[in-house]
Amino acid sequence: MNIIIGLINGMITSATPILLAALGGSLTYYAGIFNIAMEGMMLGGAFFGMLGSYYFHSWPMGILFAILGAILMALIFILFAVVLKMDEFITGIGLNLFSVGATTYMLRQIFKVKGAFSSPEIVPIPKIDIPWIKDIPVVGEIISGQNLIVYLTLLATIVVSYLVFKTRFGLRLRAAGYNRTSLDTSGVSANRIRVWSLILCGVLCGLAGSFLSLGYVTLFSEGMSAGRGWISLAAVILVSGNPTGIALISLLFGFTDGLGLFMQRSLPSQFTSMVPYVATLIALFVYSVRLKKKQTI
Amino acid sequence: MADIIEMDRIVKIFPPSLVALDAVSVKFAKGEIHAIVGENGAGKSTLMKILYGMQPADSGEMVYNGKKVKFSDPGEAILAGIGMVHQEIMLIPQYTVWENVVLGYEPVKFGGRLDVKKARELVKQKIDEFGFNLNADAKVEDISVAARQKVEILKLLFRNVSVLIMDEPTSVLTPQEIPQLFGELKRLRDNGHTILFISHHLEEVLELSDRITVLRKGKKVGTIKTAEATKAGLAQMMVGREVIFDSIRKNQTAGAVLFQTTALNYTDPDKRPRLIDVNIQVRAGEIVGVAGVEGNGQLELVNLIMGLIEPTSGSIKAVGEDITRKPILEKRKRVAFVPQDRANMGASISANIAENVIMTHHRLDQRFTRWAGRILDFKQAASFTDEVRRKFDIQMSSGEAVFKSLSGGNQQKVILGRELLLEAPFILLDQPTRGLDVGSIEYVHQRIIDMRAQKRGILMISADLEELFRLTDRIVVMHKGRVVADLVTEKTNVTEVGYLMLEGAAYEA
Repeated sequence: MNIIIGLINGMITSATPILLAALGGSLTYYAGIFNIAMEGMMLGGAFFGMLGSYYFHSWPMGILFAILGAILMALIFILFAVVLKMDEFITGIGLNLFSVGATTYMLRQIFKVKGAFSSPEIVPIPKIDIPWIKDIPVVGEIISGQNLIVYLTLLATIVVSYLVFKTRFGLRLRAAGYNRTSLDTSGVSANRIRVWSLILCGVLCGLAGSFLSLGYVTLFSEGMSAGRGWISLAAVILVSGNPTGIALISLLFGFTDGLGLFMQRSLPSQFTSMVPYVATLIALFVYSVRLKKKQTI
Repeated sequence: MADIIEMDRIVKIFPPSLVALDAVSVKFAKGEIHAIVGENGAGKSTLMKILYGMQPADSGEMVYNGKKVKFSDPGEAILAGIGMVHQEIMLIPQYTVWENVVLGYEPVKFGGRLDVKKARELVKQKIDEFGFNLNADAKVEDISVAARQKVEILKLLFRNVSVLIMDEPTSVLTPQEIPQLFGELKRLRDNGHTILFISHHLEEVLELSDRITVLRKGKKVGTIKTAEATKAGLAQMMVGREVIFDSIRKNQTAGAVLFQTTALNYTDPDKRPRLIDVNIQVRAGEIVGVAGVEGNGQLELVNLIMGLIEPTSGSIKAVGEDITRKPILEKRKRVAFVPQDRANMGASISANIAENVIMTHHRLDQRFTRWAGRILDFKQAASFTDEVRRKFDIQMSSGEAVFKSLSGGNQQKVILGRELLLEAPFILLDQPTRGLDVGSIEYVHQRIIDMRAQKRGILMISADLEELFRLTDRIVVMHKGRVVADLVTEKTNVTEVGYLMLEGAAYEA
């Protein structure tokens, strides 16, 4: 029983940052932006989140700084890809590399450490116990006692889904992706919609980053986003941006990640840490086969 | 009638030195259909784009409803009441009709939530008000092109525009759909809307408009009342010289059979028969036209001849050799081919003009290559490009310029020049003049007649019956994949061919 609860909690923890970033990616996907910069935005968020929490001794300031840091990254993307009309792919690669370099540099300059910085002064984001529910056996151990960000992620999934499919913004957002000239000639600036989608993506990636440095662990280490932004990109493309689909894919990935940890008891860790990536490859393969079948019909 | 729009001495220059509009002044009256005609590149679209705020004018003034105006983007023009329906339809195929119509002016409830019920009602109201035959809930990708065009118009009416600019609205429609559009436009005019109609189809202009403004090379030639205009007069105003619309063939006797399909059958991968027992012959010095409503097997015929698909049975012979399954280079030695789709099949639009001109030549003609075909000789390519430019009167800056920088007419001339200079005895032309202006069409026709005089055999597919009657010696009519008639052009008439195209059987008077 404990193993199953552990696996499920592990799944939720691993899925959270991926899901948040992927929701951001979903918004830019619908806006027709080939945005691969979630990795960089998330890493920026993680660093600034740690910075805010450390200096103000306050986790809300940590979250605020994480969001601002990620938005800063998004603004750089906006400057190059939207304002200066540079290639989105190149901009994304540049931004991801810049983010690794900049956070590493600042870490070494500000804290005079290499690799990672941890301190009791960094206040982590609290876990939330839900009264009543926490006392229910098994269910309580899963539903209650998760990090605040986990609950925010659940909320974000619903909000993004609502935003994309039910609101005026959503109609315009998808229009920008389907046919931007059509939106422009309808009297709505497609570029403005794209800018907003990127800023919202920054907010969500910032939250993801704050979960990495203030939730999952309480420290910042160089390149700690560790490919999660890329996996979120895979999730977005796999389900063509659909937020519900993204949630399922993220959970699946989180599950394999947890499974990998669990399998470390009997297998060398080098192999078990491959599990999530192998799962991603299998998912891609299954998806492409399905797509081919659909096309031949 | 009062003038609703006055454009005064509008100048537009595209750097470095192309004067697109040279002090054009024109007035549009309230409640009229005003056609703007001219050849490709005459400045019609540019003038309208300036009015609509899509491009800024370099100088000149505009007065709209008595006030001086200047729109910096289409949004402002729409707010003021001027809307434009573009040549290529700008809708979102994945959206429903009502979603497309309300986009940008969506009714919302609390919290930015779309008010779906209200939006649908408003759109349905508009559909009823203007008597459009549209389903507000249909997805745009599922409806016909004509219906999409109606959605575009509806979208503008939803924004309460009083001036509608239509850029070549009939170019995407089938002949049967055009009268309906014209009916709707006339009804809008009678409701007090002003319609500006860009076209280079003179029959349409004469049928629909109240007044006509003719542009030529960026200058206004004049504005005339349609009632006082004739086709020949308009054509002369457009081109600047007399254009002949009658048959231009000289009598000559045809020679030996150059091209022949024998019992050609083709069934597509979905097991639908597309071509059934097709027998077509073309002799030297003869132009054979293929008439038919689009989608009756013409595309498959062309693809079979060029080897893009393989026949289920039957054979194709050209210049005495069976080429049914011959490799493309073998085919190209015998068959020159001007495809319908210039941008995808006719040319590599991102390559430069010279590269496009020597395509195929570089495989068949030794002078373009050195080192046993491994190295291209660009000097030879340049001089050949120059030869094509001179012989086919192509307006271009240099052979180094990218192909897509050419106007439609000049693109077609480049392709035509390349193909006709291949000196293949048989020439296959698929819609050789589609989308070209009057002047270019006349030019292309003249070259085709020249080929006939050189005793080459020509098979020409065209949707334009007038063109077929002007050029061909014989017309074969295709209907549902069969050749239903093989007629001598001089012994038939448009009514008979039109009837065969639609019914597939002989007209019984």
